Amino acid sequence: MTDFYQTGVITTLHQLGKSSLERLESELHGFAKTRPIALVLPALYSEFEGPAMPGIIKELGKVNYLNEIVLALDSASESQFQRVRELMSPIPTEVKIIHNKGKRITEVYETLARNGIDVGVQGKGRSVWMMYGYVLARGRSDVIALHDCDIVTYNRELLARLCYPVANPNLDYVFCKGFYSRVSNKMNGRVTRLLVTPLVRSLQQLVGPHAFLAFLDSFRYALSGEFCMTTELARVNRIPWDWGLEVGSLAEVHRNYSPRRVCQVDIATTYEHKHQILSPDDASKGLMKMAVDICKSVFRTLASEGVVFSDGLFKSLLVTYLRHAEDTIMKYEADATINGLSFDRHEEAKAVETFTNAIAMAAQAFMESPMGTPLIPNWNRVVAAIPDILDMLKMAVEEDNK
Amino acid sequence: METATFRAEVHAQLEQIGQADIVVGIPSYNNAHTIGHVVRAVQGGLAKYFPGHKAVIVNSDGGSSDGTMEVVRSSAIADFSEILLHHRIEPVAKIALPYSGIPGKGSAFRTIFEIAGILQAKACAVVDSDLRSITPEWIELLIKPVLAGGYDYVAPLYHRHKFDGTITNSIVYPLTRALYGKRVRQPIGGDFGFSGAIARYYLTKDVWESDVARFGIDIWMTTTAIANGFKVTQSFLGAKIHDAKDPGTDLSNMLYQVVSATFELMENYADTWRPIRSSEPVPAFGFEYTVGLEPVNVNTARMLHTFREGIRNLGEIWRDILGAGDLSEVERVGAQADDEFHFPIALWTRIVYDYALAFHHQVMPVEHLIKSMTPLYVGKTASFILTAKDMGQQQAEAEIEKLCMEFENSKEYLISNWK
Amino acid sequence: MDDFLNLIVEPINELFLRFKTFVPNFLAMLVILLLGILLAYIIKKFLVKFLSAIKFDNWSDRMGFTKLMRQGNLWGKPSQMVGALAFWLLLIVTLMSSLNALQIAVIDNLVNQFFGYIPRLFSSAIILVVGFVLTRFISRAVLITAANSGFHYAKLLADAISTLLLVLIVAMVMEQLQIAPGIVLAAFSIIFGGIVSALVIAFGVGGIPAARRIIEKDVLDKGKEEAKDEIEHI
Repeated sequence: MTDFYQTGVITTLHQLGKSSLERLESELHGFAKTRPIALVLPALYSEFEGPAMPGIIKELGKVNYLNEIVLALDSASESQFQRVRELMSPIPTEVKIIHNKGKRITEVYETLARNGIDVGVQGKGRSVWMMYGYVLARGRSDVIALHDCDIVTYNRELLARLCYPVANPNLDYVFCKGFYSRVSNKMNGRVTRLLVTPLVRSLQQLVGPHAFLAFLDSFRYALSGEFCMTTELARVNRIPWDWGLEVGSLAEVHRNYSPRRVCQVDIATTYEHKHQILSPDDASKGLMKMAVDICKSVFRTLASEGVVFSDGLFKSLLVTYLRHAEDTIMKYEADATINGLSFDRHEEAKAVETFTNAIAMAAQAFMESPMGTPLIPNWNRVVAAIPDILDMLKMAVEEDNK
Repeated sequence: METATFRAEVHAQLEQIGQADIVVGIPSYNNAHTIGHVVRAVQGGLAKYFPGHKAVIVNSDGGSSDGTMEVVRSSAIADFSEILLHHRIEPVAKIALPYSGIPGKGSAFRTIFEIAGILQAKACAVVDSDLRSITPEWIELLIKPVLAGGYDYVAPLYHRHKFDGTITNSIVYPLTRALYGKRVRQPIGGDFGFSGAIARYYLTKDVWESDVARFGIDIWMTTTAIANGFKVTQSFLGAKIHDAKDPGTDLSNMLYQVVSATFELMENYADTWRPIRSSEPVPAFGFEYTVGLEPVNVNTARMLHTFREGIRNLGEIWRDILGAGDLSEVERVGAQADDEFHFPIALWTRIVYDYALAFHHQVMPVEHLIKSMTPLYVGKTASFILTAKDMGQQQAEAEIEKLCMEFENSKEYLISNWK
Repeated sequence: MDDFLNLIVEPINELFLRFKTFVPNFLAMLVILLLGILLAYIIKKFLVKFLSAIKFDNWSDRMGFTKLMRQGNLWGKPSQMVGALAFWLLLIVTLMSSLNALQIAVIDNLVNQFFGYIPRLFSSAIILVVGFVLTRFISRAVLITAANSGFHYAKLLADAISTLLLVLIVAMVMEQLQIAPGIVLAAFSIIFGGIVSALVIAFGVGGIPAARRIIEKDVLDKGKEEAKDEIEHI
């Protein structure tokens, strides 16, 4: 059970008492008549063979307020694509699958590349962007919800709570981010606990009060992959195609909307998904890659808001971060102790070491090429360049799903 | 064919009778102190309402030790042909008494169908042998629609206490209605009328060695009649009061027998029920009148205790069947205080459909599967009792109607997940 | 001089002779190994095909094997795991037979011992599988029955039963594998006896107040219950 404290500049919606899913769903059913909701799911084929996706499909089979579900499938052959279509068939909502490797969608990507629009490499960011495009192309939904497909503890209450703040016309939120505690028998969610929060607070200390940092610090779980927004927001938002997706999206929300129209909602009491390996030696994979991407995204956003990054600032940042991170470890150790969770201090220290390296690497990369962080252009800009692109995408997907 | 089991002793009798218009079957098992009344009522009914028809009463006994058959013999009024026989009971049936208390009820019915076939009966009826409230009119009400109305199957309609027949009211009736689109209110009533044609049709079905014949003969007869397009009707018989059941009858066993038979039939008739999207009323005969009913005692506190213990202990099993979302809904229901306890009907509907789907996908051994439903059923029943506590008969019936509509409206979920 | 030459040539000659007898054996070993690997691969493919045809994966989901695998952090399909298991087993057999072809006494001995052990390995695997399925079935039946009768400790009871049965099965398997049979027997007796006496103490001594409560409650309830629950479920 959580407290009822309001964190920072955005609204926090807690899970207070045991609210009824039945009630949430029936209200959502009503809201969906005026604000149809699309669910977009970035998925890999392997997730269908693992434990998560079958559970998610079972739960989605009982959801009746959604208008459409769009699933972007990566790393799948043609026969696997067909298999996925079959697996998704019990869901009563209309399901469209974007088969990223299929020949029609490949053609769409090539058209984009021909016209100088860089959508990056395969990954969650690119898939998410493509799905926004498809939902925009169809023009049938006003709200887009998104969650990962590797949630082992998926419960359809998560979806209901995620959609509710944006779908409810009386609440007037345009963006809603999910949060939850990532606790099993130990504390998970290292990147958020040990990188994002200490980094943001160190930056605040170094550059002084800053609106974006305050905004970012308001989120209890800035890196959660679950969020919900209006389609309008999806149209104007640019998103990074790398691991900076979550932070980058928040930056775009901050740029385009007032924090008053942004909220975060407690969506689950337990949450378990695939864990990333730490990979301290290789900056191109695992948590290391993730950390570097996130740091770059933060630096770039701040730079674009006028913060001047110098060599000296970065050096101070490393030291400040390290101290903040060490303090954080101590806080969480106490937190783990009182809750009887196992806490591997050495592992945590190793993670902080890795993250320190990541910050240094990101700093170096930023200094070398300040514009280098990848952002996929927003759909408004793409449509201006290729007026027929949305129709083409729509046709490709409809054809694939026939 | 097992016909040999009675041929030796009964065949001569059958030959002597030759042909009959009406066959009334009374399966029995240790019902010495009620069966006399039942036999007299049947004879009275036949004499009063069908004097011009040749009728035969068949008592098929499951090996009673209390002199049931002697009572039948001595209750006989002259001019009646009766056939008394033992029906074959399989060893298993002796251990697991079916919910209606008669071992090998399926075999008993089969024998009755066979006799009806041999005697070329036009109409038949079966009535329970432990009925206290049967009157001669029942025979008219069960037989007349067949002889005069051209119906093939007559299901009973009873006046029952609002708390009685909860398995029927919360599972079997809503489910069969939503599945097959016919509002047969008492699909497992136990007293039925049927035509000779349908009796012959029943015999062609190869179910006599299965669990359906052993436990679920009532639901099997009703479902087979509806699903194969026979003309079905209902007759209002008044109150149904029968001998107190053995209190030792295990609820979860009862649930297992009834529900597994219902689910098994869903497998066989999947192609029939899938296209059906709504239900239609089934015509009813008889004069509906209110009858006084004995008050009923229930201990809802104990039922809620069973339900909550179920949540504690069976949560993991339920998660596999219901999914995480509905499991937490169930937990939420369990966390309510006793006086505001309410089991939402939408949740219950999904639970029944999820169990049907789990049965279909063979998630675990059938007996485990369905018995694990018991605490959920008990919780739902407790909720109904609490809701209907101060309701009149009609209001309580309206509650059941709401549940049925929920079953019909959510059927899409069942269909799309039935792969 | 000749002697000296002999001294040099003879060992070389000897070596050559030995080599001459060894080479065919070695070649035979290689051939057996290659064929064996090929065969194992084919059998594995066939087995996996066969298992998925008979819906082994679904069966394993039902019987809890899949869950067991997941607990062991194995995320593949059960049929593929059985296939892989068969493959490696066949590979070991192949390796053993190919080593046998070398005709070296020590290895021969080892190989014979290995083949003598296979039947035990096989039967213990069967005991393990059957025992596991049975344990799961029994403990679930107990769980459901106890929970349906409103017993508060149903899960504990079921877990206790499944632990006892698993201890029994592991002991049987160890016994079958002849892994230190004396110690296994002793350890089993101690563990089993320990569990039983722990239960006796727990329920006997520690459970006196609880037992009293249960009995008192039961007696009290009995008094109240005479007139209760007359509803008919059918």
